[in-house]
Amino acid sequence: MKNLKFFYLIAFGMVALLPMSCNDDFLNTKPLDRISSDATWADGPLSEAFVFNVYSFLGYGGFEEQALAAYTDEAMFTHAGRNINTFTEGAESPGGLAWKSDTYEWGKMYLAIRQANIAIENLPKATFTDTELRDRLLGEAYFLRAYYYHQLVRYYGGVPLIDRPYGLNEDYTIARNTYEECVNFIVADLDKSIALLDGKPEAAGRASKLSAMSLKARQLVYAASDLHDATTAQAKSSTLSGFSNIALIAYTGGDRAARWRAAQEAAKAVLDAGTGYKLDLSAPVSPEEGINNYVSIALGGKSKVGDAAAATELIFQRTHTPQFTQEDNWPLGGIHYGINNGPNGYHNWAGNTPIQQLVDDYEMLDGSKFDWNKPAHKANPYAGRDPRFYATVLYDGAPWKPRPSDVAALDPANQIQTGYYDNGSGGLINGIDTRKSSIEDWNGTRTHYYTRKFIDPDPALPDNQSNAQVIPWPFIRYTEMALIYAEASQALGEEDKAREWVNKIRFRSGMPATTAAGDALRDLIRNERRVELAYEEHRYHDGRRWMIGDQLGRIIQAINVTATLKPGESPHVPYRHDITKYDYTYTVYDNNDNETRTWNDKMYFRPISRDEINRNDKLVQNPGY
Amino acid sequence: MIRFSTFCMALFGVLFSLDAMGQMTIRGTVTDENAEALIGATVLVKNTTRGTVTDVDGSYQITANKGDVIVFSFTGFTSQEIAVDASNVIDVKLSEGTDLNEVVVVAYGQQKKVTVTGAVASLKGKEVVRSPAVDMTNSLAGRLPGLVVIQTSGEPGQDGARVSIRGTNTLGNSSPLIVIDGIPDRDGGFGRLNPQDIESISVLKDASAAIYGSRAANGAIIVTTKRGKSGKPVIGYSFNQGFAQPTVVPEMSDAVEYANIRNELAVYSLPSEEWSAAWGALNSAGSYVAKDGSTVNSVFSPDAVAKYADGSDPWRYPNTDWFGDAFRTWTPQKRHNLEMTGGSENLTYFTSLGYVYQDAIYKNSATNYKQYNFRTNLDAKVGEHIKANVGVMIRREDRNYPTESAGSIFRMLMRGRPTDPEVWPNGKPGPDIENGQNPYVITTNATGYVDNPTDFVQLNGGIDISNPWIKGLKLNLSGAVDKTSETSKTWQTPWMLYYLIPDSTDANGDPALSPSVRSNFTDPRLREAYGNRLNTNLTAILSYDFTLGVDNNLSLMAGVTREEFTGSGFSAFRRNYISPAIDQIFAGGTVGQETGGGAFERARLGYYGRVQYNYKEKYLAEFIWRRDGSYIFPENGRYGFFPGLLLGWNISQEDWFNIGGLDYLKLRASYGEMGNDQVFYNGRLQEYAFLSTYNPGQYPINSQVATTLYETGLANQDFTWERARNINLGVDGNLFGRLDFTFEYFKNRRDQILIQKTGSTPASSGISTLLPPVNEGKVDNSGFEYNLVYNSKANSEFRWSAGINGGYANNKVIFMDEVPGIPEYQKREGKPINAFLVYESDGAFKDQADIEANTIDYSEVIGASGTLKPGDMKFKDYNGDGKINADDKVRLDKNATPKFFVGGTFTANYKNFDFSMLLQGAFGALFRVQTESGDIGNYLKYNHDNRWSIDNPSSEHPRLASRGDTYYTGGPYGDNTYFLFNKDYVRLKNIEIGYTFGKGFSDKVKIRDLRVYFNALNLFTVDKFEVFDPESENQAGTYYPQSRVLNFGASLSF
Repeated sequence: MKNLKFFYLIAFGMVALLPMSCNDDFLNTKPLDRISSDATWADGPLSEAFVFNVYSFLGYGGFEEQALAAYTDEAMFTHAGRNINTFTEGAESPGGLAWKSDTYEWGKMYLAIRQANIAIENLPKATFTDTELRDRLLGEAYFLRAYYYHQLVRYYGGVPLIDRPYGLNEDYTIARNTYEECVNFIVADLDKSIALLDGKPEAAGRASKLSAMSLKARQLVYAASDLHDATTAQAKSSTLSGFSNIALIAYTGGDRAARWRAAQEAAKAVLDAGTGYKLDLSAPVSPEEGINNYVSIALGGKSKVGDAAAATELIFQRTHTPQFTQEDNWPLGGIHYGINNGPNGYHNWAGNTPIQQLVDDYEMLDGSKFDWNKPAHKANPYAGRDPRFYATVLYDGAPWKPRPSDVAALDPANQIQTGYYDNGSGGLINGIDTRKSSIEDWNGTRTHYYTRKFIDPDPALPDNQSNAQVIPWPFIRYTEMALIYAEASQALGEEDKAREWVNKIRFRSGMPATTAAGDALRDLIRNERRVELAYEEHRYHDGRRWMIGDQLGRIIQAINVTATLKPGESPHVPYRHDITKYDYTYTVYDNNDNETRTWNDKMYFRPISRDEINRNDKLVQNPGY
Repeated sequence: MIRFSTFCMALFGVLFSLDAMGQMTIRGTVTDENAEALIGATVLVKNTTRGTVTDVDGSYQITANKGDVIVFSFTGFTSQEIAVDASNVIDVKLSEGTDLNEVVVVAYGQQKKVTVTGAVASLKGKEVVRSPAVDMTNSLAGRLPGLVVIQTSGEPGQDGARVSIRGTNTLGNSSPLIVIDGIPDRDGGFGRLNPQDIESISVLKDASAAIYGSRAANGAIIVTTKRGKSGKPVIGYSFNQGFAQPTVVPEMSDAVEYANIRNELAVYSLPSEEWSAAWGALNSAGSYVAKDGSTVNSVFSPDAVAKYADGSDPWRYPNTDWFGDAFRTWTPQKRHNLEMTGGSENLTYFTSLGYVYQDAIYKNSATNYKQYNFRTNLDAKVGEHIKANVGVMIRREDRNYPTESAGSIFRMLMRGRPTDPEVWPNGKPGPDIENGQNPYVITTNATGYVDNPTDFVQLNGGIDISNPWIKGLKLNLSGAVDKTSETSKTWQTPWMLYYLIPDSTDANGDPALSPSVRSNFTDPRLREAYGNRLNTNLTAILSYDFTLGVDNNLSLMAGVTREEFTGSGFSAFRRNYISPAIDQIFAGGTVGQETGGGAFERARLGYYGRVQYNYKEKYLAEFIWRRDGSYIFPENGRYGFFPGLLLGWNISQEDWFNIGGLDYLKLRASYGEMGNDQVFYNGRLQEYAFLSTYNPGQYPINSQVATTLYETGLANQDFTWERARNINLGVDGNLFGRLDFTFEYFKNRRDQILIQKTGSTPASSGISTLLPPVNEGKVDNSGFEYNLVYNSKANSEFRWSAGINGGYANNKVIFMDEVPGIPEYQKREGKPINAFLVYESDGAFKDQADIEANTIDYSEVIGASGTLKPGDMKFKDYNGDGKINADDKVRLDKNATPKFFVGGTFTANYKNFDFSMLLQGAFGALFRVQTESGDIGNYLKYNHDNRWSIDNPSSEHPRLASRGDTYYTGGPYGDNTYFLFNKDYVRLKNIEIGYTFGKGFSDKVKIRDLRVYFNALNLFTVDKFEVFDPESENQAGTYYPQSRVLNFGASLSF
């Protein structure tokens, strides 16, 4: 009996132990939703997919809801509470950062740079056999690393240069490199990229040899500018002259003329290698053609209504596809640029709207300055202007796309309504696109203008619909190179070269040639940049490198448009713009709705966050913070 | 596993041949000490599921073997155990008092309450049924001390509460392990179980959960379903008809109030010395010419304000109640349940079939929840020593929604301006607020539909083999399979709204309306997703109970469990349907198609055991352990060992113990080390963090969506369990045989918490978002619980019982890798998890004189050139440096989760009436309110009533803002204490009144039992926070609010 007991005890024990004796291999589950890093670098298409991810840090390009233009004298951001005013009112501090985009934010850029570093480290030892692809990917990785460093340097000055992917548990503290070292690093990366991308296939949205050559020219013209020349910068700003680490933000030695020369040559190399769009004219086109040319460039060849050939203008772009559903989620991306920025009377959100100072900087069609003190200008400020104005800004009475069905009855004429109109019986009709509209008034413009430059005018594409536009974001375009060439040439005293290229740009837009010289030519080139490259994320940097911060920090001006019926006239029902029936009055006023703008020289650079400096005590804060 | 099953078969063969021994039928009556029959007393053969209840005469009949022990029990009476001898009549007299023989379900078994050494709170299924809540989690609040239950949404199908034990113990995942019928991690959790199926719920709060090892750190909730009782079949049917409405509908400003606020805001753009004059001018003339020559117009003219006030033109000047127009007053819900139990000696069954329907509060609601549930539990006695059990649960949870989410719907309801129409006076839907969103329409099927059914099939079975020659030795083999299939079909169709045509009238003389498609798409589109999951569990447990000498009771147990979880899914999307008539995937256009899919596999293996010892049930000791392996950790750190030691002393059983009135007293202590393998941060389970892998993503390249590969994270080969080390001290006792009490004190230290060291890693490293989990976080959590229950005389005509319970838990971050160098008072360390970091609001500048008296520098707040204006918020200069900046932010001692939860129960029976009530409260949390108000949306009435205004300047409340356009509402300084509200509340969580029809009535209609009742959930609430429901966690009110439910029901049995 006793033996039996033990038999059962043992039997039970064995049963219980059986699963224990099982191999526990089943715990080595495999991830079914990802791929190992080793496998990636052994395979061409997978490596390419990795490099595509390095591109992804380009984000929405400049098509973010809160555009960089709203930090400048190009635009005002309509919606309060987004931390825009923290910046424009000069209240940004290391402990209280203002709005910053992921396309230049410190941490995001270093994440992007790390991804480029991984590619740069792995591609040379990659085991796949397609060496052309490998070199192309490596060239792209160098370009992208340079691009992301150039973003950091534009916003923060000299930054720590990290050229390899960190591992775990390393010492991550590192000091900032000087501005000069950063420029040299970026240019060196671009030179490698130029060599590697030579003769490689090109595709929209990917870096080409020309992209790398162009970015180099841009970086070099920045390096030659006032802000980055220590002597000039310190002479112009007490904040900067009091900064003891000036080498972090400017060249402290060397030959400034040589820097201008380098920029000029780099730009010329691009001008020689590419063609651009209609930059071979010798006389102005008609105003209508000027509008069409400029619209076509803005649409990047990706609209049914623009000239597809204008795509040649783009040297480096962020392409779009209506199928990229991430951009359907808030914050909406470039395919919804129209929703983000268009008029509320089209169920759009106003977003970044032009301010009066930009409107005023468009010359008259004859090349003269616009002037509110001239009665003819004041009576009809939107008549006879630089054709690019009409292609960039929507103003009261401007013709635009068909209204959505629920608004059509209010505006069969499809004209922008940002004014207030006599209703003939003692009252006012509030324009449909104002903040007193019956349509989503909280999304009305605060400046009484809207941007139109990048909104696809195709009437078959209503903005606030899921059939989105695919207008590309122009990171770099050919005309920028012409402007860099002109700017550098002017600085070097080679005014003929400068005028030659500025005039080509003006002819394409229907504007007459300039004969300006000296400072007037310099100012004209600057204004040409302001107008030609409006809303392309240049003004923020140009205003800084030219050290005209007080211009950027001007109080926002907006316009008030009212219409009174001429004697004996009866009103249009529904209202439409008609100068034969109505007398229009245009009143410029200061707009402090959301921000009381100011300028402080600390704003030449963004602050490094208090936390980041606490984590890395080798960092030196930017001047003024 | 082939070897395994073959071996089992062989073993069964051996054991089957051992079947023997006779049975006898025992009869008798159960009475109280006065010989009054106890109706419904439980009679159970110990250690079996065989049992019955006494009838109206107190008599019973049960089959048992000689030597079996029969347990007689009745609520409020001390149970008795009587061994079966030769006699087949056993009459029992039960005496009133606490029931120490009551059995509590614990991990892998049951224990007599008297021998329980851990902190275990338990609840009978019949308590759960008192609540009309559809999701059972909501029925637990206030009933189990130490259980934290917070309901954050009342949306049908999504209204389950967040449940945790003893608050929050970790920076990561705080969810307790759910064990249903012995199976951990059952798919679907327990919220949607049929409450009528529940036998009991136990909450293991301390080291008693340690036997669950790697998932025990957050405690365990053990749910046991009902099993059959032998005897004649008993069929029960119950029907509940409930009516629900939101507990709180936010009170918003009306049209005149809103218009006044907007007009005030127009004035504030002027220099403050002109405000008074301007405000007067706007109210009288509608416009004001400022000193600089500019004109400020009122947003709403005096004439318009007058029309909003008098309601003379509801077409153009409505006073819209957005919630009122979209909501019904009450919405129905109902539950049917049919159950049957019974069986023979050798086979008992419990089976139930249920149906639930829950509608949403919207008029013409597209949201509803339907549930069909079926359960069968079978227990078979295969042979004398072999028993088998099978459980089958099938459930369909069918969720239906409109295509716009509750978040969107409630965002629009919160935003809807009272000066705009939601519905035209003729009943046509009004215009959208934006993007076609009008709550009156997007709550309905007019926009398409979302149909989201999930099917659960859960099977479990087990075999118990107890060997006759070694008494007390038992082998249990069990397995479970949970198969879940979920489908989701989203069919979106364009929808139409009605717009006023200015200056025109229709045939009735009313303003004319024109219909317009206002969805932001015009082509119908369909997204379908399919997913399925399969969980398997194989368990073998060997146990051996024996006695050494006479008084040393020992119980040994060892087990092994192997679990696998797999799943996969895919989705497809098409748009450009030519017609909304065909809602099938094939009929969509080919342009813009999208597909997606994914899969996962997860596995765990655990070895565990328990040694229990007691001496005369006086000195109690228990050691439990588990060695667990989880797929989530790298192979070298995959296994962890988790021990628990629990001690108890039934001190009142000592001979020397003699304290008058103290009938029973037990002291308990426990210590356990437990693990948590749910590595969560950034809202995601961090799987495969030990591998260097790239995840697929998407980015447009060359106008195509390209597949990208992004770095998932840096691999860490060196991380392991999050470890809990929990101490618990407890006292159980009974005073005068009437008052049961329990006190618990606990101190939990959670370390090795898996965190990402973002605090100290510079962003320039490029890896701060890629950091892998490291075992460095530390959190302490300590607190106490109490439970007091007073029972009146058990067998008097009026019987009642009252209890209060409470649980306090206060956690503190010890280490979490903070940014070095931040001020001490801003650190997370030393404060509760997620404690608010805010500026301290100090009232408002009442007037210009107040501003002039100000000596604090606000230039970093408002910019160097900015000026303070009356009604602006004051901040405290916390560090006293004379200026307000980021250094004046302070980490508070509070977060958004209450620290102290209390419950109060009262139950009573009088003749045929029964009554029960549950009060529940929570204290110690703050809540941030931030609504989308201004030109974009309406203001809370609270904000209207409490604001600085030109007419009524306040030194307490600031001026209102439009959409965060003041420094104290938007931007970094918007995080301030002014917007934090106290969430403390006490509510009548549950009340029930029932009447059971007497025998006379029942005989006539051949019904054995008929009870009708009324019960209610969240009947009323007392709180200071009157804006939203105090359980809300949504600062903008953009969520479906919690519900109040009134319910009528009847249950009958045949």
